[in-house]
Amino acid sequence: MSLTVVKNATCTFCGCVCDDIELHANAEKIVATKRACSLGESWFKNHTAERLYPEALIDGQEATVDAAVEVAADYLVNANMPLVYGMSNVTCEAQREAVSLAELVGGIIDSHTSL
Amino acid sequence: MIYWGGNPAECHPRHFTKYSLTQKGKFTPNGRKDRTMVLVDIRETPSAKAADLFLQIRPGKDFELISVLRALVKGQRVRADAAAEIGLPMQQVHDLVGMMKAARFGIIFFGMGLSMTRGKHMNSAGVLMLAAEMNAFTKFVAMPMRGHGNVTGADVVMRYSTGYPFGVNLCRGYPRFNPGEFSTVDLLVRGDNDACLVLGADPGATMPQPAIDHLARIPTIVLDPKVTHTSRLARVHITTAVTGVSAPGTAYRMDEIPLPLRPALKSPYPTDEQVVRRIREAVQRRPAWLPGRNGKHGNLVSHGM
Repeated sequence: MSLTVVKNATCTFCGCVCDDIELHANAEKIVATKRACSLGESWFKNHTAERLYPEALIDGQEATVDAAVEVAADYLVNANMPLVYGMSNVTCEAQREAVSLAELVGGIIDSHTSL
Repeated sequence: MIYWGGNPAECHPRHFTKYSLTQKGKFTPNGRKDRTMVLVDIRETPSAKAADLFLQIRPGKDFELISVLRALVKGQRVRADAAAEIGLPMQQVHDLVGMMKAARFGIIFFGMGLSMTRGKHMNSAGVLMLAAEMNAFTKFVAMPMRGHGNVTGADVVMRYSTGYPFGVNLCRGYPRFNPGEFSTVDLLVRGDNDACLVLGADPGATMPQPAIDHLARIPTIVLDPKVTHTSRLARVHITTAVTGVSAPGTAYRMDEIPLPLRPALKSPYPTDEQVVRRIREAVQRRPAWLPGRNGKHGNLVSHGM
């Protein structure tokens, strides 16, 4: 099976965000990395495109994303002081959405920086 | 170049070679030879091998060393036993001040060993003050060594959207900032929150136990590529694509340079961005939150009315 080569890929494992990595990938996983450090290599190789987990869980039971989104929205709307936390391993685009959501539900938004 | 409370050789393996220590620059044509590196830490980590001067201080004495440095930089007198309390010979502290003032461009990279120990954000504030005061003598800056991928992006996004970098309270409809009051660990340990959305983090594995206990008590929603420790105590978990591996977007490097992600894989799961947007749209379809609505005096108003 032929490999896709991605040049100048960006590694988001640590705060260095090296953007000169070369990745060799098949449809499911990354098989080789160039220029990545040991941490970056394991980061890229440990994450695959396989379906290893259920798409969503509600109270530990498998559910659809649609149902989970509705339940999540109910919890956040009904809370008096919801917290949106984390955001270090997501994209800036997702962070913007998170800020917008926090404002809408009148909550607190915080990242790993505060730790 | 001062690394303080961090171990870049093991935690940011390419920091020395790609960014800081060995790269040749316009004013440092010989790379490593044109630079002086100092490491301040409580134990001798592999990073100490790269350092010209290694200062091993006693645990929890970071703030004391910062204070002594700030005094010496300004030429104030410091009691001789102050250095002994930190665990250093006074001469080494004087040497460090000499090196800092002799530098043409100095930087302090501070890690979690500084910001997470006794003194916490006061330590970070002290280092920033020290760097600011050094500018009376030479060019000097300070930069935190960020651990996770895009935590710098979180600072930047919150800064340009709310005016504050983290711990922002939007309960009153306008942003308020107060670390210690609106920072996650403090909120959760006090038990202030009554719901939590966690994305791109696993507090169930890293936070103090009282904070984890509170996350298990309240409805917690987790967005993560894996079923994490936090997912197991959460009411809702949604699996998302992996940032940078199978989800596209932008991430900030720790020196605040935004970089595009080039994912190599196609994920069967939606991205965090898509899921958060869908939750926001679902929230918008519901009646707005009003003070007291969740109490006895119900009062329903719709969004967009």
